[in-house]
Amino acid sequence: MEPATHIPWIASHLWLIPLLPFLAGGVSALLPRRCRKLSAGLAIGAIGISTLLSFCALAESILRGLLPHAGRQWSAMQTHEAWHWLTEFTWFSYGTTSLKLGFVLDPLTAAMATMVSFVSMLIFIYSLGYMDRDKNFTRFFTFLSLFAGAMLGLVVANNLLLFFICWELVGVASYLLIGFWYHRPSAAAAAKKAFIVTKLGDIGFFAGLLWLYHATGTLQFYTPDHTGALEQATALAGLPGIMGLSLAGTIALLIFCGAVGKSGQWPLHVWLPDAMEGPTPVSALIHAATMVAAGVFLVARTYPLFQASPQVLTLVAWIGAFTAIMAATIAIAQNDIKRILAYSTVSQLGYMVMGLGVGGMAAAMFHLLMHGFFKALLFLGAGSVIHGCHNEQDVFKMGGVKKHMPVTFWTYFVGTLALAGIFPLAGFWSKDEVLTAAFNWGGGWFHKGPFALGCIGVFLTAFYMWRQVCLVFLGEYRGEKATVGHKQVGHEEAETQHETVPGVPHESPAVMTVPLVILAIFSAFMGFSGLPEHANLIHHFLSPEHAPHHVNWFVIATASALAFAGLGVGHLLYGVKPLAADEPDPLKAKLGKLRDFCRDKWYWDELYEATVVRFANIAAVVVDLGDRLLDGVTVGMGLLARGLSFINDKFDEHAINRSFDGSCGTVRLMGRCFAALQDGRVQSYLRLVAVAAALLAFWFFLK
Amino acid sequence: MKNLSYIELLLNLLPQVALVVTAFAALAVDFVVLRRSDPATRFRVLGWLTALGLVAAGVMLFVQFGQVQAHGTYVGPLRTLVLDPLTVFFQIVIVVVTIITVFISMAYPFTTHVSEYYAVLLFGALGMNFLVASEELIAIFVSLELLSVCLYILTAFHKGMLRSAEGGLKYFLFGAVSSAFMMFGLAWTYGLTGDTTLAGIGKAATELAMTGLHGNGAMLGVALLFTLVGFGFKIAVAPFHQWAPDAYEGSPTPATAFIATGSKIASFFILVKALFIGFDGAQGSASWGAFNSGWIAVAATLAAVTLVVGNTAAIVQRNVKRLLAYSAIAHAGYILTGLVAANALGAASVFFYIIVYAFTNLGAFGIVAALSARVGGDDFKDFAGIYKRAPRLTFLMLLFVLSLAGIPPLGGFFGKFYLFTAALSADPKNLGLLWLVTLGIAMSAVSLYYYLILLKTMYVTEPAELAANPAADRIVAPWFLNFALLVSLAVVLWTGLAPQQLLGWIELFLKSLPS
Repeated sequence: MEPATHIPWIASHLWLIPLLPFLAGGVSALLPRRCRKLSAGLAIGAIGISTLLSFCALAESILRGLLPHAGRQWSAMQTHEAWHWLTEFTWFSYGTTSLKLGFVLDPLTAAMATMVSFVSMLIFIYSLGYMDRDKNFTRFFTFLSLFAGAMLGLVVANNLLLFFICWELVGVASYLLIGFWYHRPSAAAAAKKAFIVTKLGDIGFFAGLLWLYHATGTLQFYTPDHTGALEQATALAGLPGIMGLSLAGTIALLIFCGAVGKSGQWPLHVWLPDAMEGPTPVSALIHAATMVAAGVFLVARTYPLFQASPQVLTLVAWIGAFTAIMAATIAIAQNDIKRILAYSTVSQLGYMVMGLGVGGMAAAMFHLLMHGFFKALLFLGAGSVIHGCHNEQDVFKMGGVKKHMPVTFWTYFVGTLALAGIFPLAGFWSKDEVLTAAFNWGGGWFHKGPFALGCIGVFLTAFYMWRQVCLVFLGEYRGEKATVGHKQVGHEEAETQHETVPGVPHESPAVMTVPLVILAIFSAFMGFSGLPEHANLIHHFLSPEHAPHHVNWFVIATASALAFAGLGVGHLLYGVKPLAADEPDPLKAKLGKLRDFCRDKWYWDELYEATVVRFANIAAVVVDLGDRLLDGVTVGMGLLARGLSFINDKFDEHAINRSFDGSCGTVRLMGRCFAALQDGRVQSYLRLVAVAAALLAFWFFLK
Repeated sequence: MKNLSYIELLLNLLPQVALVVTAFAALAVDFVVLRRSDPATRFRVLGWLTALGLVAAGVMLFVQFGQVQAHGTYVGPLRTLVLDPLTVFFQIVIVVVTIITVFISMAYPFTTHVSEYYAVLLFGALGMNFLVASEELIAIFVSLELLSVCLYILTAFHKGMLRSAEGGLKYFLFGAVSSAFMMFGLAWTYGLTGDTTLAGIGKAATELAMTGLHGNGAMLGVALLFTLVGFGFKIAVAPFHQWAPDAYEGSPTPATAFIATGSKIASFFILVKALFIGFDGAQGSASWGAFNSGWIAVAATLAAVTLVVGNTAAIVQRNVKRLLAYSAIAHAGYILTGLVAANALGAASVFFYIIVYAFTNLGAFGIVAALSARVGGDDFKDFAGIYKRAPRLTFLMLLFVLSLAGIPPLGGFFGKFYLFTAALSADPKNLGLLWLVTLGIAMSAVSLYYYLILLKTMYVTEPAELAANPAADRIVAPWFLNFALLVSLAVVLWTGLAPQQLLGWIELFLKSLPS
């Protein structure tokens, strides 16, 4: 911790980063619907300044990392201890206890804030084009700003409570945005599902938060005097928790519940694919920069607690690995372009969580950052395709889009290779980091499990991505060329379309393609920030106390071979002989029942329907009965209160007001009012006051 | 600390002089220039003049605030005027409250006696100014009377309206009785202690209280009781509250706003001073099972009665101003709850609360004034479904009412929170005041019921007759009223989102006091 005087400007003004989008959202919430340009301008301007500030923070942090003792020597990469710049303020205090909130600038914050704000900014700009015709354009940008502000808020928070508040705001904003086309029942249901399922995880998170506060007496992550909640993790590891875990482990487990919900890990992954019901920029935002990243970031932020408990880390690793492989198998059998990407996100999040579980925090964060770029690219590309194909989302009704939408194709191609992990794109380096961490994890076969699952996942990832590229971009267009008019999915959506020749895909406007190109450039080259061994800048930056892994040629070779194999198999099945219209999926013949199992998402939804939902329904009936009983009591209490107040009021009315109201019927009778004052009733009232005073005196002197 | 000579005293009274000059200027301008203008114009022009004078006074107070902070407390002869940061801060608050009242009045031209109205308002503000700044019994009493007489007049200002006359008369009658009680109590206090300054009384009373309830100690009890009963009238705590509903309902709405806010601030401020300094030695206790004679015991009893009476009687009200009157009574109960903590936190929480409460009520009454000026009444039936005609004003009303109900993140929530925390902090080991806090929390749950009924009426209930053309029927407040409402809202939001700031200031001011 630096002395307070050395805190750079940006560290003490970190709160500006989330505040600006919040303000933009707040202002445009008040704007009338017609102020489209103003609200979009506000949103983009605010996130733009936030991005600049984030870059400042990143630059300051990098300088801090490179020059730990500024002015003395150029000692690159020599800090082997974690450092944080903190600012805190008292929110409110009661007596001697006070509730402090604060912000922290450390490498994790800087890297994350930069990625989140930058990607969000590009998505905002893209939305200008995508939501062009929507009549609720203003509302859309309001929610987008809220979403980005909440996410940036949790990134810079140095306090679990502030984190939680922003976390919930992210949830609310995602609810509003997934259900943006709320007149469609499926969108409304998806929004509800996302909100409720993530809330299940939040219960655990909140319990963990309370327990942590109880155990440490603070919710600050770090404090200047090193008594923050995270800095006490080692002490917590010595205390007993539940189920044989240490206290640190128990709390870590509870916090992990929150991450499972938000980051779509099994068993709470079911909401994420349904969240595709929102407009595509929202999907991109949820899947790349905000929301799902929040869960992984939560674990990374509270990593000291996890590190203090190997058992929990093991669980984390296995859940991540299982999610990665499960989602990848589901993705190979989907037909909806966005759904394929959605399951791909679940799968990639699995990798990140696995990375966290095997001890590679920096690797996981690296993958999170890289994934933010290329997944945003893919989603925006998919949006561009959907936009160009007149709101068609079924990949079997596309095809040959390459020649109509060249920019979209080439950027999508880069994104695909990056996601598949092909040298030298971003995904290659980051996935390699995660797999190397998994490979180096522990000794026995049990500990090699996640690595093996991850490798199979690499093959599947390459396969489903190439399948998608072939189906969408190669071959001939299979859509309904002849039909005139647009597919009427929803009222607003119809309005988002551009009036072009129906039936033929068309390239999207520049406002949509430019963000794609920028993202493609980042997806291609950002990976070089994380070269293995000593040039691994990002690893040094994010966790200086752990030396990076050595180059593991075995892992690199295996992963690359599997990725190429996936591409190859995909090309054999879909690329060599392009599908004709209405031709069935060749995978059906190859996999049979197994493919149905994958297509139907391993029947998780059905399982939950049959168990959790049914249980909830039964419970609801029981609780309802109980409520009715209680209701009687409540109504009785209410009646009693009403009775009391009735008596009270009547007393006021009759004992006191009668004398006035009764006699002051007309102005002419004013004189009588004075008479009424003297007729004894008011005096009797005042006498009553005297009696009250006397009673008070009696009470006073008796005691 | 700095003792003032008489010349310096005059210089330090310049803000108050400005108020008087403004009052006479308003009268002169009205009679000389505006004789033939219509009331609405006169309300506007004279309103701006009054506001200008108040702003001038505010600026002077602000300068004074800086001086006092730099040089410490200014003390006038015989402690009739004591200027410390806290006092001057509250004088500024009072001036701001009066300015907002003027803005509300400008949107509610109800009388032809325009300049008289503004002049009386200014004299009332003058009374409040002196009230918060004096620590001497005679000065306190005179300021309180100045304030009260102005309020009686304001209540009855709606000439030709029966309810206004009735309310004014009732207010006057009960006010007079309360003054008698208070005068009696103060006279006994002086007789027992031989001093009229609060500090001197405090010293002597502490010695007297040592003797317990015998001889002079018992007489001190009588003095204390009568003083408290007198104050009880002024701050409208049960069972001395009966004037309030009629006065609130009968007054012209801007005057109601002034009575409900400015006079509450000043009265509670001086009550805290009188009890904390003057009757410091005669505290007693209100802890459960350990009741002990003293002002705490009396205040706690009054608080409990007031909480129950105010909140339950409010439920059956069907007039918005009457409802707000009972809500004001209930709020006096909450404030007393914080007062009985009898420590620095208690004082700070009371001061915090009266500021939040004042601005919340200014907003609420401002909206009632704007709406009732158009719909011609302030019963629930007049306000039914008014959301369609005035969506923005209704939304602001929603925020103010929720703040009154104590819903976070509005100021009212933290106000109550601090009051209750203070009450619990008084006796942290046994939580002796837990019974009162529990009652307060239960009663705020009850209060939510009637506040929500009001909101439901405004938002959901169908109006008796549907307007033929809702668009033409829209109620739009003039911009200065909107401005006043937004200022009030800003305070409510500020104290709700960053409560620590205002509380921190108050605590700082309290610490800077010599005692």
